[in-house]
Amino acid sequence: MGEKKYVMGNFAITRGAVESGVQVAAGYPGTPSTEILEGFAEYQGIHAEWSCNEKVALEVALGASLSNVRSMAVMKHNGTNVSTDLLMHLNFTGISGGLVVISADDPAGHSSQNEEDSRILVHTYANLPVFDPSNAIEAKSMVKDAYELSEKTEMCFILRPVMRVCHSRAVIPFEDYDEASFPKAQWRDDRDRYIMSGVEVPELGGIKRPQARHRWLNNKYKELQELFEGSPYNHVEDGEGNIGLVGCGIGYTYIKEAAGMLGKKYPILKLCTLPIPKKKILGFLQDKEKVIVFEELEPVVENLIKQLCQENRIPMEVLGRSGFYPPDGELTAQMVLDAVKKADPEVKVIEEFQPRKIDIEIPVRTRTQCVGCSYRSLLYNVKRIARRYKGIVFGDIGCHDAGSFKPLELQSTIYCMGASVGMATGAFFAGEKRPVFSIIGDSTFFHLGLNGLINASYQNGKQVVVLCDNATTAMTGFQPHAGSGINLYGESAKKVDLNKFGEAIGVSVHHVDPYDNKRTYETLKEAVQEEGVSLVISSRACYLKGSREGIKFFEPREVHVDQERCNGCMVCINDFGCPALIYEADNKKVHIDELTCVHCAMCAVVCKRGAIS
Amino acid sequence: MKKDILIAGVGGQGSLFATNVLCQYALERGLNVLGTETIGAAQRGGSVVSHMRISDQPIYSPLVPPGRGDVLLGMESIEFLRNIKILARNGYYILNLYSLPTVYTNLGIDRYPSEDEIVAAVKEACEKGYIIPATVKAAELGNTQMTNVVMLGVLGKVDDFFEYSEVKKIVEKISPKKFLKENLMAYEAGRELV
Repeated sequence: MGEKKYVMGNFAITRGAVESGVQVAAGYPGTPSTEILEGFAEYQGIHAEWSCNEKVALEVALGASLSNVRSMAVMKHNGTNVSTDLLMHLNFTGISGGLVVISADDPAGHSSQNEEDSRILVHTYANLPVFDPSNAIEAKSMVKDAYELSEKTEMCFILRPVMRVCHSRAVIPFEDYDEASFPKAQWRDDRDRYIMSGVEVPELGGIKRPQARHRWLNNKYKELQELFEGSPYNHVEDGEGNIGLVGCGIGYTYIKEAAGMLGKKYPILKLCTLPIPKKKILGFLQDKEKVIVFEELEPVVENLIKQLCQENRIPMEVLGRSGFYPPDGELTAQMVLDAVKKADPEVKVIEEFQPRKIDIEIPVRTRTQCVGCSYRSLLYNVKRIARRYKGIVFGDIGCHDAGSFKPLELQSTIYCMGASVGMATGAFFAGEKRPVFSIIGDSTFFHLGLNGLINASYQNGKQVVVLCDNATTAMTGFQPHAGSGINLYGESAKKVDLNKFGEAIGVSVHHVDPYDNKRTYETLKEAVQEEGVSLVISSRACYLKGSREGIKFFEPREVHVDQERCNGCMVCINDFGCPALIYEADNKKVHIDELTCVHCAMCAVVCKRGAIS
Repeated sequence: MKKDILIAGVGGQGSLFATNVLCQYALERGLNVLGTETIGAAQRGGSVVSHMRISDQPIYSPLVPPGRGDVLLGMESIEFLRNIKILARNGYYILNLYSLPTVYTNLGIDRYPSEDEIVAAVKEACEKGYIIPATVKAAELGNTQMTNVVMLGVLGKVDDFFEYSEVKKIVEKISPKKFLKENLMAYEAGRELV
């Protein structure tokens, strides 16, 4: 029999997939979704992989599904953007073995470069069915139902957990499963579906296949609407008065939290599916004058209810994200309370929140590279070169991107993964006279950066690409990739030979050891003076990961700041910025924090006065 | 009953171990537990906030709403101050008086408040609580990584809900073998700080 375990929401999702008989799971790391795929490493007999990017992951999952086994693709919202092209085809073809895509959103952008509501892509755009779990237990149950329904309807299902579901910790039932009952791979051609092309379909009056499949999708959508009328994830809770509260996914939990603080019991409609169950909603709206919809992040359900009211000529105030309460950021119970008070000024709030007065300025805490990280000395030298040659540095996503913030302020841009190289090419062809640089991490490079590099070379561009290679996806917690030499299970795997790759695409390849300050500088100088595209690869393992594994990075050296020689010029802080260097405003001098310093001694070369030794 | 706890600190301070101990304690008493943490860039020295909710009633949201927290554990001074709004009127705090400078305070862009200023601000804003030198204690014992366990020792001493010896049993149960002895020492040391 099963047992109960206190686990992270993400592992509840993994477990749901395992109990459903998933045979293939693919994804790309991204907070808050990462642990879902990592969780598969615990289970035997499943192929789980860190794919090069999310579109590839979805392709792998689709290929498995069409081979009649259950599969899963795991990504965060940015990854869903990347895989959209395939989503916009598999929605037309349908699937064979159950296929579930996890598209995890990060409202407020706690660990993201943007905030977005991926329901718009997967539902409004791709018309796929979506489960929006309100908590981790529900997420697991939804995964299992999604596999059943996916096969029943031949549709790919989406689970859209938000960060507070992914990173919640709750007691989850782990049920038993019978591996012998899971279907084995069996490919069956279905050319009318799987060959997506603009060919005529005679039996539908000669319309082209894309239109015919679109018609199929529209009919499926109606079928799903009916199906979700009876879904256990949508329900009504009775209350008093003519104001109703609608809670979608995590929004429902904030309503329930706020309900305990309100002096009145409002009727609640919990909605965790898309398409919405129209009849259920119409029933709820019957004796209401206003409803407030609480959802993360965009007014998706709010707009669907408005549309429903319009279709049924129901005069109703439908309030929500479109402006009644803040249209950006995470929901909170307080936002629910404020919105309810605004809609119903008569209502009493029990124990109204009174903020504590705190009369002190609290400094912000930004992230930076770890003490000892090779990226710090690499970025230090890139900054020296960029300053000397007045370069423009295009940034990308990864640990190195902390060089964009104070104190370094080296990179001028951060967009999406891989964008640095292409943007640098654009600046060059725009006629920018200053030399252009791009800085990209290894995992990001294999994700979508290499296309930009091939293009830069092919177009006869000119730039210096600095590839920060630490052999892992460090920022999300050390997931391996095509340049790591190991796979998700830690087994040995093929490793891309970057020298041969660079040679094959016609760029000039250089290598630097970032702990060798002088040669790093000289190599970068050489690169910036070259014609064409230079690829400068800085290959040293992630310090945080490597030092835990006992790798020796440098000969440790005790370093001190000579307080007589230090004149408080701040070069070590502004250009190097190691957190172990502390500036004391009182005496305008720097000292080294013994508790944080790892004795790499790289700061010693930074000080021009020789005060650090 | 309900116990809403927030642990505020910086990545690497071990707040996750502390929440695991407290969750396990509550689960063994048959209570409902729900938690969440903001762990985004935590490995790179970012702020970490762990919410932990314990109740004999159903718990809906994993987030402790502002002004509803029963206990605020601060592993680092300014991270504690940043989260002070969470503490209920009748809630109490345990603050490890320990300053981890930020990149900007190192730079001299921001100013890290002095210990005196921090203590004054905390006492002004909150009625009940304890200010303790947990990291100093942990360093004395040989490893600042044990700050979290020292703080658990304080909690076990001052909070009637957490029975001192029962929490200790869980520390014993879930500590990795190589840290077991150190952790138990740190736990005992916490009790002596208050």
